[in-house]
This record gives sequence, structure tokens and C-alpha cells, in this order.
Amino acid sequence: MGKKKRGHPDIEELLARPWCYYCERDFEDLKLLISHQKAKHFKCDRCGKRLNTAGGLSVHMNQVHKETLSNVENALPNRQGLDIEIFGMEGVPEDIIQQHNQRIIQNFYTAQAERQAATGNPPRGFSGGQGPAKKIKYETPEEIKKRLAEHRAKVAAQKAAGANGVPATAAPTDGQSPAQGTSPFPAPQPGYPYPAAPGSAAVAPYAANPAYPSTTSAFPPGASPPPGATTAPFPLPARPPSGSAAAAGAPPYFYNGAPAGFPAPGAPGAPPSTVDELVANAARQGNGPGGDDIDQMIRMAEAGIRPGATATAGKTEEAGTGEKKKKGTRMVYGDTEVSPEERMAMLPRYRWVEEAAA
Amino acid sequence: MAPAAQFEVAQPPKDAISALSFAPGSSRRLLASSWDKNAYLYEVATGGEDAKLLGSFEHRAPVLDVCFGADENEAFTAGMDHQVKRIDLATGEQTVLSKHSAPVRCVVYSAEHSLVISASWDSTLNVHSTTNPSQQPLTIPLPGKPHALAASPSKLVVAMTARLVHIYDLPALASALASPAGSPAPQPWQQRESSLKFLTRAVACMPNDAGYSTSSIEGRVAVEWFEDSAESQARKYAFKCHRQAAPEEDGGGDIVYPVNALAFHPVHGTFASGGGDGTVALWDAEAKRRMRQYQRFPDSVAALAFSGDGRFLAIGVCPGFETGMEDYSGEGRTKLFIRELGETEAKGKGAK
Repeated sequence: MGKKKRGHPDIEELLARPWCYYCERDFEDLKLLISHQKAKHFKCDRCGKRLNTAGGLSVHMNQVHKETLSNVENALPNRQGLDIEIFGMEGVPEDIIQQHNQRIIQNFYTAQAERQAATGNPPRGFSGGQGPAKKIKYETPEEIKKRLAEHRAKVAAQKAAGANGVPATAAPTDGQSPAQGTSPFPAPQPGYPYPAAPGSAAVAPYAANPAYPSTTSAFPPGASPPPGATTAPFPLPARPPSGSAAAAGAPPYFYNGAPAGFPAPGAPGAPPSTVDELVANAARQGNGPGGDDIDQMIRMAEAGIRPGATATAGKTEEAGTGEKKKKGTRMVYGDTEVSPEERMAMLPRYRWVEEAAA
Repeated sequence: MAPAAQFEVAQPPKDAISALSFAPGSSRRLLASSWDKNAYLYEVATGGEDAKLLGSFEHRAPVLDVCFGADENEAFTAGMDHQVKRIDLATGEQTVLSKHSAPVRCVVYSAEHSLVISASWDSTLNVHSTTNPSQQPLTIPLPGKPHALAASPSKLVVAMTARLVHIYDLPALASALASPAGSPAPQPWQQRESSLKFLTRAVACMPNDAGYSTSSIEGRVAVEWFEDSAESQARKYAFKCHRQAAPEEDGGGDIVYPVNALAFHPVHGTFASGGGDGTVALWDAEAKRRMRQYQRFPDSVAALAFSGDGRFLAIGVCPGFETGMEDYSGEGRTKLFIRELGETEAKGKGAK
């Protein structure tokens, strides 16, 4: 029991992941982060040259294109400044790192609590039968629904704000979403067999954290903001119980009470069930439709998928060994005795007759 | 970074290209032989963004191969009309060096030994001296029809039907040519069987005289070394390339294209291959890696040539001849591209 990780990473693993100062995305390794930064934040929009830092891009713009770089592209509204020199994880201010870690921890415990609520399994490292995990009073479907609506409203508001330059705070489209007051991240339950999330109380009003102003005043009215900024990755919804876990034998009481409107597990629009999915969804949202292919490649690399068929000469074959007949290989030219030139030479078009010329 | 630009030559040959050759040294002159019975002389402009047609030299029949001689004013051609010709590019004067009894498939010039060697479908090699034009060429019988010919500083590689590969020692050929008539024809320095199962399509020698590569009609390239030691022979390898996955509705599998052209980079020792799939790839023979594959050309790549300083790569593109074609014509679809390589574009990483 509880020995399998089931693809849920440890908190240490999550905290160790490198992440991007400009857009808060996290990555499998530093190389991917750096290539992300070069592609998304340090790329010259004039000539496509990828620089290593914002400063480098600024100098490049100045010298090559005689232009002044005013802000970092695709960055969160309050992180567009050129004053901080970022390369990979280097140069990120300490307080920003703290904020990020808190967010990760918060998300982690929320996610874990949900998993436990959904499966009824005791937390890892604790023997079964202690009970509290099962008895945790958790959000009712109505609450979840409400939070989902809040999240959607917020995303929509931000989109709208991004599109017309209206401050996001002014546009809660949905009457039931007092987006600023309540936290979308319920603090861990008291008496919970975990160390209380450090600073959980402080982080509770996370959405209202001044570090993440939800206004997009940084954009001039009418100007279209960089795609990454329209849906910032931070207001992720706390995750409802995992659909797949429920299908795999969750206590039925949970879904019995679910109203009909609640999205069925696995249905389109169903909430994500793993951290990875969540991250992937956030990434997808962040990119919008037609996210660019560098991101696609990074995601594939993260998932351990190699782009198919990278032919290298390294795959050498033993010269002279028997030919493996592959199914359906078709040779464009298959004559093993007569060369194409000889065949062409026989055509009337090219044929040369000695007598004719003599 | 140096530019990596590519342009299309404004006046390409009017029919399929059979061969391309750059002048020795840092000259920017390029010869193209064509099935339209002409050899064309181009010069790449100083800016490197255009190539001017300097002249064309008409033959009686399609020209199957062309190469430069000692300098940028001398050329040799192999003609379907059985003749091996020397052309003075300055005056346009053509002289017949020798006559085979069948179309001449290939001609190469060895600057180190001042020899012109031609290979014909009459299964002979003709060896001519350029220092002594009055001397009768030396004829060497071959066991099969030659399809490709290449010279390194000291060796001559002849690839024939039935997967035969003969390697001649050029100094030996030079001395055999100088010896009195009637002496026995020189024997090949090595006789090999091709590492490739199918008909050899092209041969190219490493500029450092260490080995050569061959390609076949069945989408494969082999790299071999001259040295006849067990270690050197164990280093030889072959790999698949210039293939495309066939669409599922056609039963899947691969469409296998012939590898029509090979050319070694004179400075970096890497090589380029051009195939019937219309692509050109750059390979690092030492590291056994593909370094680059260029964007697909509109038709099959028929010929490749690096300039003497390795700055330019000429790519001849025309429709490929496929099995069962009854009415082939390269007219209107023959194109000549010239790519200016970046500083390190063709530089290999060396062995792992």
C-alpha cells in the first residue's frame, strides 16, 4: 500500500524542477528551461536570433536593428523588466524564489489531499487504518463547481483584459465569483498528518498576492499582449478529485451526491487528474491554440518522447550481411544490372547513332 | 555568422544534368554537362548571389561527364558519341583525346599525375597523359561496365556492374603509360566487391587519400578505407538514406531512392549525398553522423560538386529516371542551385 508513486512526484522533486522567472513554467531540466527562455523570452522579433539573456537581446536590438528593447516578451505583467539579468535559474531574486516555492508547496498539498480524499488511501508512509484521511471533510461538488466557475471567470476576465486592456479585476463575468476575496487554495486541514505547509496562512490569499497583479495595466490600451501573459499559469484551480482514481474504485459516496451538471470523469472538460496533466493543461492554456513548436518539442522531451526517426549514419549496418527484406519497400529504380544512364541512352530522345553523325 | 545562402542559377542546362564540377583552387568556375548535348561553363559572382553563364560547348551527343583539367581554362568531357574530348574553355576549341567503342560514362583528371582517365560502357578505361598529348592513350580492359569513377591523390576507384570495384594505383598507371607499347596492361592495386548489394551509383574519394564512399540505387551509402589491413577494413560501414515512408494506403513501407551523387568537402573531409528523393544530406564520415539535411528540392538530385575552397556546393536537380519510364525528359524541370556554405556548415565534429 502506498509504495507505488503512481507518477505523483515528491514535493522535493517538484521543488527541484527548474522554472522560468518570466512565465513561471517549470521544466524537466535546466537545458530545456534555457532553450525555452531563448525561444520565448530572448528571441529577437526582427531576425529571430536567440540570445542568452534579456541584456544580450537588448544590446542586439540596439546594435543590429537600432531599436530599444522595452520589455521581455511573453513575460508575466510584473516580470517584464530588463533590470534583472536572468539566465536559466540564475539571477532570480530570493523573494521571487520563495513565492514560487510556496506556490508549489501549496499546490502539492492541495493535490495530495484531493488524491487522498478521492481514493481514501492513507498518505504515503502511514499504515492504513488511521482513518483521518478518509474522514477528511472535503469540498462538496457544489464548492468545486463554484471554484471551477471562479477560475473560468478569472481566466475569461484576464483574456478579456488582455484583449481590451481593461483591468481584469473589473470584469468578473460570473456573479458567483468574488475572485479577490477567497482563496482558490484551501489551506491544509488542521490535524492533518503533514507538516503544515510553511506559510500556508500567509499564502492563503494567494490570488490577491501583490506579486501577481491581475491587472494588465502594463500593456498599453489596445495593444495585444504577448500570448503567455493572457492566461498566467498561477491561478490554477485546486484540483477536484481525480476522475481516473474514482473509476479505479473510489468510495461511491462522493459521486452519489454529485449534481448532474458536474462533468463526468473523462468527459471533455473534465478536470485534470494528475499534476502532470495540470501542468500540461496550464501550458496548453498558456500557449493558446497553435502553441509554437519549440514548446511542443520541449513538452515531448519532457515526456520522454523522441521525435520519430532521427536518422543518423550512426546506425551502421554490417556491410555485406544478408538483406533484411522489409515489408513493402519499393525501389524507385530497381534494375540491378543496367544503370539509369544506360536506359536513358537507349531512348530515342538521347540515342546517338554513329552513322548519323559520321 | 557567415551567410548560408542558396540561389538558383538563371540559365540552367535545357535538359537533365549528368555531372557538375568546380574548377580547382579558389576559382569560382563551374562546369555542368547535360543530356542536351552541351557542356556549360558558369562563374559564381563575387557577391555569391548569382552565377553567370560564360559559355556553352556543343557536342554531337549527350555529355555524360565533365571535369576541369589543370586550370580553370581546361576541361574534359565524356560523350555519348564515344569520344573523350579536351576543351579549351578560353577559345572553345575542342580536341578529341581518344575514342571508345561505346558511350563514355565518366572522365576524371588527376592533377597530381597529369592524367585524364575515361571509363566507357565498352568496359575499358583509357588513360591519357596531358603533358604529352601526342602519346597514345593506354587502354585497360575491365571485367564489367563501369558506372562510376573517382580519383583521390594516389588512387583511382572504378565501380562496375556486378558490384565489382577495382582500385588502381595512379603512379603505377602513370608509369605504365610511359612504358613502351606492348607491355602488359597494369593490374588493379585492389579488387573488391562492393559493400552494397545493389548497383553502384556514385563513387567519391576522400580528399585525404584515406578512403572512399560509394552509393547504390537502393538508398544506401558505404564508406570504406583504402588501407588493406584488418583494422582498416573493419572500420568500413554502410547506412541507409534517401528513403521516405510510403503512405499507408500504398501499403506502408519505404520508398527507396537511388543515391545519385556523392561529393567530399575538400577542406573538412565530410561528404554530401544527393538522392532521387530530392534531398541533399551532409555526412560526417568519421563520426558516422548526419550533420545536415537540406530542404527538399523540387526534383531528384542528379549531381553535386563542392568548389575547390569548399565555399560553394553546386546541386543539379532534374527529374529522376525511374523503372519503367518510356519517355523521359528533363526539359523545363532541370535546375541548378548553388549554395554558399557557412563557415562551419560542413565542418564535422570528428570521431566520437
